[in-house]
Amino acid sequence: MDAVVKFTSQSQGRDRIFRATQYACALSIYLLRNKIERKELLAKLKSLEAAMSAGRKLFRLGNTINSIEAAKRTMQLSDRVLCLCLTAANMTRALYFVCDNALWARNVGLIRDINKERWSLNASRCYFASLVMNLSRDLYVILQLMSQKARDQHFRQKMDVHLNENPEVAGVVIPQLDAFLFLLLEILKSHPAVALDTLKNVCDLFIPLDKLGIYQSNAGVVGFCGLISSLIGIVTLAQPKFKIKP
Amino acid sequence: MDYWVRFNAQSQAKERVIRAAQYACTLLGYTLQKGGAAAELHKTISQLEAHMSLTRKLLRLGNSVEALESAKRAIHLSDSVLRLCLTISNLNKAMYFACDNVLWAGKTGIISKLDQKKWSERSFRYYLFALILNLTRDLYELRLLMDSEERHRASKHPPFPHPGSVSLPADQLSSPSSSPVALTAPPVMLAGLRRQLRLLVTVLYSNPPLLLDLLKNSCDIFIPLDRLGIYTTGSGFVGLCGLTSSILSILTLIHPWLKLKP
Repeated sequence: MDAVVKFTSQSQGRDRIFRATQYACALSIYLLRNKIERKELLAKLKSLEAAMSAGRKLFRLGNTINSIEAAKRTMQLSDRVLCLCLTAANMTRALYFVCDNALWARNVGLIRDINKERWSLNASRCYFASLVMNLSRDLYVILQLMSQKARDQHFRQKMDVHLNENPEVAGVVIPQLDAFLFLLLEILKSHPAVALDTLKNVCDLFIPLDKLGIYQSNAGVVGFCGLISSLIGIVTLAQPKFKIKP
Repeated sequence: MDYWVRFNAQSQAKERVIRAAQYACTLLGYTLQKGGAAAELHKTISQLEAHMSLTRKLLRLGNSVEALESAKRAIHLSDSVLRLCLTISNLNKAMYFACDNVLWAGKTGIISKLDQKKWSERSFRYYLFALILNLTRDLYELRLLMDSEERHRASKHPPFPHPGSVSLPADQLSSPSSSPVALTAPPVMLAGLRRQLRLLVTVLYSNPPLLLDLLKNSCDIFIPLDRLGIYTTGSGFVGLCGLTSSILSILTLIHPWLKLKP
């Protein structure tokens, strides 16, 4: 109970729980969409999803400043690629929050003369850009770790043992691919934070891809991916060792 | 700006800011109505207020557990009055949050056919009990501090003869017809009252956490009193009280030393 209280006292913790609930509702609505006898449950799920979405928009009102502060911190990183990727990711996130705040003001009725569709598209574009930047950083970190590990003598011995004892067809025909995949899996197993962050960003990517029409999936896929990324977000917040640094 | 990030990271801080904004809207709505502003603007403000109220209810979804944890901690206090006040106050708050959660479910449509007025009244009753207990605790602490301050003063400056009693023989000599008892009573009472008041001001001035908590609870109590119809003051006064208490609690979050402990 104490851990639950501590988790929910963080504003981010609550927001992630609400996000998980929102996408779980979206997934359930998609799965139940054809069941006519569950009409009432469907209506309740829709109103729950709408309530979560509206509430989260209000909570996010202060997050622009958070992102700008994060961008200021990442500008001081020593590694130039990391610095570029993370600062760009944070700045585009800040722009996303600005669009999101404008949409909130429009929904509530404070601002009347803005084009909802255009601002919604802009928000999705900024979110997409920030996810791409985050994925680039993940890729860079993975490549760095892989090149580091490949030079390690102990690992080289392990790799030779693995290559010699697996007489499968694919391994014989494309030994480089097998070696590459073995190295990749080793890295991901020994650095769970990087693996989780990559998976989270890949799942999150489907949401703006669908909204912008680049890769139209359906509401079920979007709901499922959103739910997975929210659950990963909860895990990284509850267990700080799973959070990627910086 | 780093300050804002740390402040914003607390879920309670966000809820307090939204509360301040909600009661500012209430106050604004009242002044707009009084000033005869456009109906559309008034409608926007009241819609915004309703939206913030509903979102705060969403944000408070887990608070029953927190209140129960606080009640569990309060049971171990040494002072019996504090123990009683704080435990029961936290239990009432837990009940208030539970009713509030039910109201949220009803307002968002998850529970259909909910008697919102009944549940709203229930939640405000629990809130009122919790506030009364908090005020009792504040007054108890105030009484303790005043007593200890008085003892401290008495030990430092031994009590000197009262000016009223000194002038009594002179009065008696000058106007023997007037009753000596009637002459001494009001000045003694007034002087005693003045001394108590000075003591109160000194104690409150040197204990800002207690002062803040007392002010906050006094402002807060007008809200359920108005909503339950016990002492209706009108939406303007309620808005002002709510805004003041929200600002005071934001202050205690920014400066944790201002929070009354336990």
